[in-house]
Amino acid sequence: MRLTEEELTARKRRNLWIALGLVAFMVLVFLTTFLRLKQNISDSSAARAVAEAPAQPTGPGSKGAS
Amino acid sequence: MTDTRPRLSTAQPGDYFQLLKPRVMSLVIFTAVTGLVVAPGQLNPLVAAIAILCIAVGAGAAGALNMGLEGETDALMKRTRGRPVAAGRVNKNDALAYGAVLSLFSVMLLGMNTNWFAAGLLALTIVYYAGFYTLMLKRRTPQNIVIGGAAGAFPPVIGWAAVTGDAPWQAWLLFLIIFLWTPPHSWALALYSAGDYARAGIPMMPVARGAKSTRLQILLYSLVLVPVAILPGVTDLGGAIYLGVSLIGGLLFLLLAFRLWRSRAGDQPEADRTHGGPAVGREAALYDVRIDAKPARNLFAYSILYLMLLFLALLLENLPASTLVCPSCA
Repeated sequence: MRLTEEELTARKRRNLWIALGLVAFMVLVFLTTFLRLKQNISDSSAARAVAEAPAQPTGPGSKGAS
Repeated sequence: MTDTRPRLSTAQPGDYFQLLKPRVMSLVIFTAVTGLVVAPGQLNPLVAAIAILCIAVGAGAAGALNMGLEGETDALMKRTRGRPVAAGRVNKNDALAYGAVLSLFSVMLLGMNTNWFAAGLLALTIVYYAGFYTLMLKRRTPQNIVIGGAAGAFPPVIGWAAVTGDAPWQAWLLFLIIFLWTPPHSWALALYSAGDYARAGIPMMPVARGAKSTRLQILLYSLVLVPVAILPGVTDLGGAIYLGVSLIGGLLFLLLAFRLWRSRAGDQPEADRTHGGPAVGREAALYDVRIDAKPARNLFAYSILYLMLLFLALLLENLPASTLVCPSCA
């Protein structure tokens, strides 16, 4: 089957957009992974800081941990 | 010898963009952003932007699946016959594959980016719209748009869930506003496109129950919608701006719904409605009521503005405290 010029041009354009879409998806997955890692590191650092902090005295005048 | 093999598609990227129903998508983006901004909690602005993109693409994917499934029906209706599948520019299977791939990508990415509850809601929305509404409801009951309207009401809940990981009653209040808004909005349009729906065999309310009953139901739904739309103004969701917009906007909505109820919009010659008849008769009847249909067109156009204004007011009132603008404020 011989393709017409119109068919070839349309296929080329569609392929270009599929490629751009896939690259965009890869970038988004990369960004998501990076942001989640950053958030997890920050969360675990905060949790470690809380765990390592000296215990607060609890009494009638102090705010107890909920 | 003639080559009988199917020709290669000449569909352009723009046709594939049209499959995503960009106008519906813009409303989805707007309501999802509102849900995301109104929700309490913190979300990185980049994460929020990716979440909105996922919700928009997910909604677009549902649109592509709908167009793939409805190609033959769309071709029978004036309003939809120019759509890519109906016009024959995009193959039905290509549209379905495109919708399925985008659904998968958007749900997966939203799950990885925010949480799986929000991703589950997005998946539910796509299945609800493409599967439940398009395949089951649309051709079976005049209540199709009432039940199916839930699909369009999910985006603010998904936006909210993306931030908090849950969906409290405030999120469902936003859902309820869009859910109750859908019937008056869609039936107002259906009143002056009834011929189109009849030709395609879709039992929209004016086709199945007649224009008079539809006008009454539009008024009744409006009477429920307007008080519900005021509720965010008296809760912690909205403030004075929202309350003012919902009160004034609601009164105008009721006025237009009342005028529509009193009008003869959508009325057709009785003889035309009684037979399932040829397109020509129904189309002629549709044009016969064009002048009378003005109140329906007014309500349809205003309903879009009304919903936009409600969500814009919520957005403006909550934006200053939002983590999108001020990450340290929340």
